[in-house]
Amino acid sequence: MIKVLFFGPVADRVKMRETEVEFSPGMTLHDVIAHLGMQHPGAFSIVSFFAVNQNQVHDKQMALQDNDEIALMAKFSGG
Amino acid sequence: MLEPVRIQQKDFFQNEEIDALKAGSKRIGGIATFIGCARDFSEGRDVSEIGFEAYGSMALAEMKKLRGEAIEKFGLLDARIVHRVTTVKAGDNIVFIAAAAEHRAAAFDGCRWMIDELKQRVPIWKKEITPQGDSWVTPHP
Repeated sequence: MIKVLFFGPVADRVKMRETEVEFSPGMTLHDVIAHLGMQHPGAFSIVSFFAVNQNQVHDKQMALQDNDEIALMAKFSGG
Repeated sequence: MLEPVRIQQKDFFQNEEIDALKAGSKRIGGIATFIGCARDFSEGRDVSEIGFEAYGSMALAEMKKLRGEAIEKFGLLDARIVHRVTTVKAGDNIVFIAAAAEHRAAAFDGCRWMIDELKQRVPIWKKEITPQGDSWVTPHP
């Protein structure tokens, strides 16, 4: 399973804080985003950053491993 | 002893943080600090409270990395970063940054760099709670 986390404004839009997507070999970050985007149309238009296992990633073609943790995040506004 | 990088609900106290810095080195010639606090007015609206949410484990790791980079980049003797993640009222403290160096220029520069980088890199979000409703804050430059 791939664990997907949502925070702040993104969590408000999808009305949940986490979900799981079934892992399949060869799966990429893009595949997960596309899959979730179909379930929540328009919800991810504010997503600016992605993290895999708590590291920010810029390449959506990154291959995932089973049990990875992904976060879809809006622009940060701490401080 | 308080850790130099923390995410916490409770308030922080500048004197404790500065004492911790001074306890670490007698070579410190200057300490620059930044305290971010909650304003009662934003974007034309009264703000009664601000709520914070963080991707805690990633935020803490990024803050630790940021501190290490600042020490290296500016030749600091030490640095501290504390961010509250809770709901605060107008006037309450939000974030504390301190940079300790032999001379003031490095302390000022390092302090400014850390708060600027924190805003860009650390996964924390704030929501303003107003009489007109709640809204997540769009980042300011």
